[in-house]
Amino acid sequence: MAGKKKLFRETRIYPVVFMLIITIIFIGILATFYQLSIDKVTKYNQTQLKKMVLNVFELPTEDIENDFTKYITIQEMESLLFYEAKIDSVLLGFCFPISGSGLWGTIQALLSVTPDFDEIINIEIVNQNETPGLGGRITENWFKDQFKGKILIDNDIVRSFVLIPENEIGKNGEINQITGATASSKAVVDMIYKNVKKYSPKLRAEL
Amino acid sequence: MKKKEIFITSAFTQNSVWRQILGICSALAVTNLMLNSLVMGLGVIFTLALSSFTISMIRDLIPKRIRMMVQTLIIASYVIIVDLFLKAYYPEISKSLGPYVGLIITNCIIMGRAEAFAGKNAPIDSMIDGIGAGVGYTLVLLIIAFVRELFGFGSVFGIPLLGDWWTKWSIMVMAPSAFFMLAILIWVINTPKLKRG
Repeated sequence: MAGKKKLFRETRIYPVVFMLIITIIFIGILATFYQLSIDKVTKYNQTQLKKMVLNVFELPTEDIENDFTKYITIQEMESLLFYEAKIDSVLLGFCFPISGSGLWGTIQALLSVTPDFDEIINIEIVNQNETPGLGGRITENWFKDQFKGKILIDNDIVRSFVLIPENEIGKNGEINQITGATASSKAVVDMIYKNVKKYSPKLRAEL
Repeated sequence: MKKKEIFITSAFTQNSVWRQILGICSALAVTNLMLNSLVMGLGVIFTLALSSFTISMIRDLIPKRIRMMVQTLIIASYVIIVDLFLKAYYPEISKSLGPYVGLIITNCIIMGRAEAFAGKNAPIDSMIDGIGAGVGYTLVLLIIAFVRELFGFGSVFGIPLLGDWWTKWSIMVMAPSAFFMLAILIWVINTPKLKRG
């Protein structure tokens, strides 16, 4: 019996069989772990997104699920998904996902605008891979808050923002960029401009 | 070899980073924050311990010619488990570590220990060797991260230590400073040994 076993281990087929078995075993283990964690991961991601949508309209986020159903309606137009916020049937504004290329990868954000599309309500960064501590600071509140209330569309012309150094006091339409992260700061500004230019005519005509 | 000796050897005397200069890619990448370094270190310790243990368990069954394929498969499986665990239970940390958790698979230390130790020794010894190598790696990460976070952010583990007067060194946050810090660390640790000859 022992001799027979040794013989099999010397055959050419043995490595193939071995690899096959071990692959099946480990894939089985991984599939189990995946199944155990997938619900949690999806749920977390959905809650995060809902929280961000609420944040971007400056709505309360104590009870994310309930607040979301209370204030937000998901709309769709030509495969573009966007969110509509209402408080007691008064339209607050729209929020739509925007994206653009940053220094290291795609930056995804949510941009909320007033019902007439003229002003930015707020911006929230959903996903970014910028350098931590430098470009990564685009997620900091002081940077995002600068966009609040900025004029977006003036006489049907989409405005783009001018970047100035971090410590200077800006005029209307100027944004303080992050020191050491010019590219990331510019990426956010460009991203807003390009997306608004692309989507605003359609959305404005529609709504 | 005694168990304690195995641990000391793989963690300090033959430390993977400063003696063997292995696994430095990730040591450079995640060391700008102490917390990220710690989580990364724990991930590597977990992967090293279990992959060394598993590889040692089946070391007599693994056909020699395909042993690296088998090692990679086993290592990758444990890394994916770490990644899934972080995604499910510590999503914030998982987010800030980005792709680096997945890249533990390519950490040369793990394959190095599998080849150099687990393939020839008993399972428990291999596991201790793995933990030792992981602890040694984590130690390096934490030392570098301590300096980088302190100078770059003025904090340690996110707790601000230096006040507002401190001008943050942007260079410490970026990758180049990790090269300097790692080189200095290797230099400082190895100099006495080289002088003794």
